[in-house]
Amino acid sequence: MSNKSLLRINNLQAGVEGRAILKGINLEINAGEVHAIMGPNGSGKSTLASVIAGREGYEILGGEIEFRGEDLMDMEADERAHLGLFLAFQYPVEIPGVNTTYFLKSAINETRKARGEKELDAVEFLKFIKSKAKLLDLPEDFLKRSLNVGFSGGEKKRNEIFQMAALEPVMAVLDETDSGLDIDALKVVANGVNQLRGPESAQLVITHYQRLLDYIVPDVVHVLHDGRIIKTGPKELAHELEDKGYDWVIKEAEQPA
Amino acid sequence: MQARKSAEQARNFSQCDSLLIGDQCGAHTFPYIEVKNTTASVEHEATTSKIGEDQIFYCNQRGISTQDAVNMIVNGFCKEVFRELPMEFAVEAQKLLGVSLEGSVG
Repeated sequence: MSNKSLLRINNLQAGVEGRAILKGINLEINAGEVHAIMGPNGSGKSTLASVIAGREGYEILGGEIEFRGEDLMDMEADERAHLGLFLAFQYPVEIPGVNTTYFLKSAINETRKARGEKELDAVEFLKFIKSKAKLLDLPEDFLKRSLNVGFSGGEKKRNEIFQMAALEPVMAVLDETDSGLDIDALKVVANGVNQLRGPESAQLVITHYQRLLDYIVPDVVHVLHDGRIIKTGPKELAHELEDKGYDWVIKEAEQPA
Repeated sequence: MQARKSAEQARNFSQCDSLLIGDQCGAHTFPYIEVKNTTASVEHEATTSKIGEDQIFYCNQRGISTQDAVNMIVNGFCKEVFRELPMEFAVEAQKLLGVSLEGSVG
């Protein structure tokens, strides 16, 4: 495993409307690693994902986020995406009248343009996209339907993974992608993430349950509670949490050292 | 919409959808229906939706700029109508839309 740092978060504090949600997050993810963040509801998991991706509406109260050596704080969400950051949404949005193919073509070509690469023409793009759809076993009509409109929960999550596969991000953040999925859909999601794994990329999997981590085996597991990472451990930590719940970690963290 | 006295079994469906851009606008739709034949069947439907910050952020996250995202969302919204227009006009309408949206966000 290389030790090239991809994402470095230093004492990140953020909140909404004057209420602090993240209270000093420190996290470093190197190329080639898969990290999992687990935690009870309301611990700040989704806020962390949103702040990394550059969603508006959060107040950054302090700290830094660096991605591939660049300061993310001054960057718009689309610029962060061009750098190779991808967020799989917990609740993917619907865009009526815009089909998935067209949406992805814009996304990929705007990204290529920003990186100084040649844009794909219609033929090249269709070939590329069909090969990706095949990889994930997606039915072809998926590509023609309006983006996420009338999709079931499982289909929306599959679409997120499909877009991720097509955009080939350096770093993918999955925000509770497993919520509401049956076991087959879960395997599709895991399969998509595992195909992205490589020495140059990294993944951050945010989840409430250990179940997904049976299929996406993380290198490191963090426990988030009340806006702080209170414990970090190897993959076995996820199993321990599944067996014993979060209470013991929280108690352990609250005890004075 | 008007159905005259001799319009036996007339059938009508009017749809009026509005898409709001920005927080300074609203939509008022006045369907005007005049029916003089009791066998006519008339329906009217109106919806109002808004370009959401969620939609814009979703597009941004995939690398699409805000300007292009708004264009895409508005075009998607209008597509159903554009499809019904004659070819030359549909092309023109799309271009007009592109021009009028320039600078409407950001």
